[in-house]
Amino acid sequence: MKIKLLIAGLLFSTSALFAQVAKPIEMPYIDYPIEKGDHDEVLQQYCLICHSFGYVLNQGKKSRPYWTGTVSKMVNEFKAPIPKEDQQIIINYLVKHYGYESASGHR
Amino acid sequence: MDPLNRRNFLGAGLILGASTLLGKETSQKIVTESHEFVPPTIAFPEKKPLKVISDRPPLLESPRDIFTRAITPNDQFFVRWHMPDIPTYIDLNEFRLQVQGAVETPLSLSVDDLKSKFEPVEITSVLQCGGNSRKYYAATGQATHGVQWGHGAMGCAIWKGVRLKDILNRAGVKGSARFVGVNGLEKPAVDETPKFFREMEIDEALSGEIIVAYSMNGEDLPYLNGFPLRLVIPGHFSDSWVKMLSEITVMDQYRKSFFMDVAYTVPDNDCECVISGSDFEYKRKPIAVMKVKSVIGYPTPNTIIKKGSRVKVTGVAFDQGKGIKEVMISVDGGKSWSPTALEKDYGKFAYRPWTFVWEPKAKGEYTIMVRAINRIGNIQPLPEDIGWNAGGYQYNAVDSVNVKIV
Repeated sequence: MKIKLLIAGLLFSTSALFAQVAKPIEMPYIDYPIEKGDHDEVLQQYCLICHSFGYVLNQGKKSRPYWTGTVSKMVNEFKAPIPKEDQQIIINYLVKHYGYESASGHR
Repeated sequence: MDPLNRRNFLGAGLILGASTLLGKETSQKIVTESHEFVPPTIAFPEKKPLKVISDRPPLLESPRDIFTRAITPNDQFFVRWHMPDIPTYIDLNEFRLQVQGAVETPLSLSVDDLKSKFEPVEITSVLQCGGNSRKYYAATGQATHGVQWGHGAMGCAIWKGVRLKDILNRAGVKGSARFVGVNGLEKPAVDETPKFFREMEIDEALSGEIIVAYSMNGEDLPYLNGFPLRLVIPGHFSDSWVKMLSEITVMDQYRKSFFMDVAYTVPDNDCECVISGSDFEYKRKPIAVMKVKSVIGYPTPNTIIKKGSRVKVTGVAFDQGKGIKEVMISVDGGKSWSPTALEKDYGKFAYRPWTFVWEPKAKGEYTIMVRAINRIGNIQPLPEDIGWNAGGYQYNAVDSVNVKIV
């Protein structure tokens, strides 16, 4: 799944920007940093199937209902194959590292 | 490239270099100390360095100073894909646009066919993500679901291509046809994930305004903006401007789908809004035409300006195609308003650039605000008055920028 990174070509030779897609393009791979611990390996296993952690970091701190809603959207709408217990691990991780406890609301 | 961008550019190179050469362990060092995560600014293929919200699917945001220009350059045009698997190579000898379903003659068209066998048309039009400016909802109401874009998920380009109407007429739409579905080559990672499939009513598809574009600002479409073909629906949010357009399916019946009926929807009422914080439990409709909006390109937030300078405040305004009547500006946080000068008119679906010369006479903090009104009297709401929706779509409240005069 990792895509090869073409640092020199992409970053330091802007003149080599392709005029058109005459040959395969190479997409940069970005290792978005997420906090370690609390079973981050479960997020590595499931979230990265479809999207980078950039999606998580972009959200800012969000409430438990918000993250619960987001995880159920991934499962119910996008059909992410995440078992129930792992969904809970992911929610708990997100609330702890990228959110806060609260009874309601979207913040 | 201005000094700030150059710094980001080099910084991004160093960050990437470190994480690649030394392996994953060093990745933690990229984290900034601020509460808000600042994504790296990196050049993707055919692009200058842009804010990379995600690399997969690619989400690239344009910088605010792009709004000093009426036409957005291709290499700074924002990027938004929905699915992680996008072909990295398209052979034009093999690529075909399929026109199928309820038609007399299904077609399989090469890009060359489109260029040589149809009348070319050109239109200058704004392309804006439905979720553009979403993060500003959180400033006055509850945060909304989705990618927290600033204003940089929009641009304006000169699109050239073929009328969808001409393609459909060439295929011969059957009398039973009621809808047209469109999709491109992007694919989900999990088979069960809904496909990015969009639909419109047959009358809209045959209206003559929709274009299958093969050129953007006089060049091939950048790969990340949908090479080789994308749909252009002037005046409409970009959710149906399908990239790498590969299939046009004429249908007798509407096909229910996630991306039409769940995503990209707003409350189905007059204000297209609900009480801030309400969940998605309301009757919904797909977002469609854009709302009147203006943004400031210069100065950018926190610019420091010397007292007595002659500041040329610059930006763009647009709407759904009715035309901009006036853009008002305030340099005192909304207490008093003056008209800006509307600049060259690039067409009713394009950005209307505006300028205002400001000579700040006293030191201090200033809030510059702009507010557009269109020819049918639609005016931008103030941030505290904007109608709220849980998906965070269609944000168009008055833009403001704080600067410091020293």
